[in-house]
Formats: sequence, structure tokens, C-alpha cells
Amino acid sequence: MSQETRLLIIDDDPDFVEGIKSILESAGYLVDAAYNPRAGLEALKAKPYDLLLLDIMMGRGAEGIMVARKLRKDPILSQIPVLIITGLREQIAFLFPGQPLHPHLLPVDELVEKPVEPQLLLEKVSALLELAAKRKAEK
Amino acid sequence: MPAKPSFSREIVNLLYNAETNPVESCIQCGTCSSTCPVADFMDHSPRNIIALIRADLRKPVLSSNAFWYCASCYQCTVRCPAGIDIAGMMYGLKRYSMWRDHFKKGLIGADFSRRFARMIVKNGKSFEPALATPYLFHYGLRAFLYDARNALALFVRGRLPFFPKKLKRSAKFRKILNRIIPMGRVA
Repeated sequence: MSQETRLLIIDDDPDFVEGIKSILESAGYLVDAAYNPRAGLEALKAKPYDLLLLDIMMGRGAEGIMVARKLRKDPILSQIPVLIITGLREQIAFLFPGQPLHPHLLPVDELVEKPVEPQLLLEKVSALLELAAKRKAEK
Repeated sequence: MPAKPSFSREIVNLLYNAETNPVESCIQCGTCSSTCPVADFMDHSPRNIIALIRADLRKPVLSSNAFWYCASCYQCTVRCPAGIDIAGMMYGLKRYSMWRDHFKKGLIGADFSRRFARMIVKNGKSFEPALATPYLFHYGLRAFLYDARNALALFVRGRLPFFPKKLKRSAKFRKILNRIIPMGRVA
């Protein structure tokens, strides 16, 4: 099933993208990448994706949040499950001393923190895909 | 699927939202460097930094002190004949180097930025005595004595408080912060 599963990564760090891309590709997913939020949104509109992996700190600041907000407003794009991958705590740890990051920005989302364990990444991706498939079947 | 972006592409991606021209349109005229009031203190002038970025020389750019010394006066941006927001680029380089934790050692810029932001998030206001204390001896004894004299003069005139002033309705301020970045509870 995962053979036809298309994933999109929006992250401005090319080294990180290469890393997670190789993990996901070795698990049989088809992976595309966009390196800034605008290119990412264009890619999402151009092609259907089954899951989005989204970074938070891009461009002028926490622009990943703006991407998430735009997705939430779009009736079609809001159905795409989103895995937020962020180094936010490391960047602005003072915001969240010792507290968990809120995992819910969107109706369907999940959050992992950088650096990401490959096994954890694959587990979260497949769990999100399953959840999205279930939601689709219920409709 | 685009290939892995080069360093110059990364910087363009970082400034993708700028309404001015990209750094690639630089004509190397040197107007930015000659107009910059702090260029004398930089190891690479603004014109140099742009040339290094375009040559994909990541290491010399990130280990430069230029963007940390930038005073954000925006003279370069205003005068650039190619219409590049050079001051915006300097801010972009600060973000880039802080997000990747890669900057010249010994400079106080990154540490100061983090300390300042932490203080604003916590108290909603800047409190200079606590902000400056860690760097008192950074520039040697002479600078310390100079700072101490200034601090004393400010204190005598009631311009330097002993205790930080708290923001009124700080809970509301935290709510605003949480609305901007709705992840994690603000302490």
C-alpha cells in the first residue's frame, strides 16, 4: 500500500530533508520536498499528497504555523494529515520550560521534535496515514 | 523534485517572503559597504558577504561577525541600486546561524538575542541591569569601568531601576504570545 503513498516535506534545512527523505524512501514512500513555505503550498495545490511533514521555523520566523493556518482554512488541504517536525523547543526553549509542546494545530496532526528517531518517524507517519484512511472511510 | 539547494539557494529560501530583489541581483557596486557605519568593525563588508553567499561559501559567511555587528540602520537597503534588502539579509543570516547553532565563537550577539527574547517573554519588559550583567567583563577592565560609571550616573538620576518592573495584565500578554505560536504553554 505504501508504494503509492506520496509524502511532501516542507523544511528549509536541506541536510535534514535529505536525512528524513532517505528514511522515508527506504520504507517505500514517494517523497517530494519544498524548501520554503510558498513553494510548499504551491506543491500541495499542484499534486495530491497523502501526508505533509512540516517544519516550523522557516523564513522570517515560525512560518510553519502560518502554513498550518492556511491549510486549516482550505477545505481540501485541511484533510491532509500533517506531521510537524520541529526544533522549536531548542530554538526558543524559554517558551516551554519542561512542558510538552501542544500537538494540535490542525484537525489531523502530530508532532515530533528534532532530532528525530527514524523508527519513531516511521511509526508516526504510518499511524497518521491509517488515521486519515479511517476518517476517509467514515465519510 | 528539485535537487538539494546550495547555500545561496538556502539564503534565497530564507528570504523568500521579502518584497525586495533577491541577493542574486547584486551588482557588487559597494554602495552598501561604503554607506555602512559599522563596516570598519566587520571582518567582511556587506558587499563581501553577498559575494561569499553567491559563491556558496557557507563557512566564511557563518563564521563572520558582519551580521552580528549590523546596526540595522537600513542605509544599505535604502541606497542599494539593485533594490536588495541588505539589512533584511543580515537579519536572515542571524536567524539562519541561530537555528543551526553555527556562529562565530566569542561574539555575544546570539547569546544576547536569546537572553533578551527570554526576558521579554517572561516579564514583558526589558530589564537592563540583568541583561547586561553577564557581559560586564567581556570587553576588559576598561570597558567595565566605563560601564560602571555610566550605570552609576543613570542610577543617581533614577534611570536605572534596582528591580524589574512587571507588565500589568501579564496573563493577557502570554495569551497573545500563545496565539502567535500556539504550541506549548507559555510559562
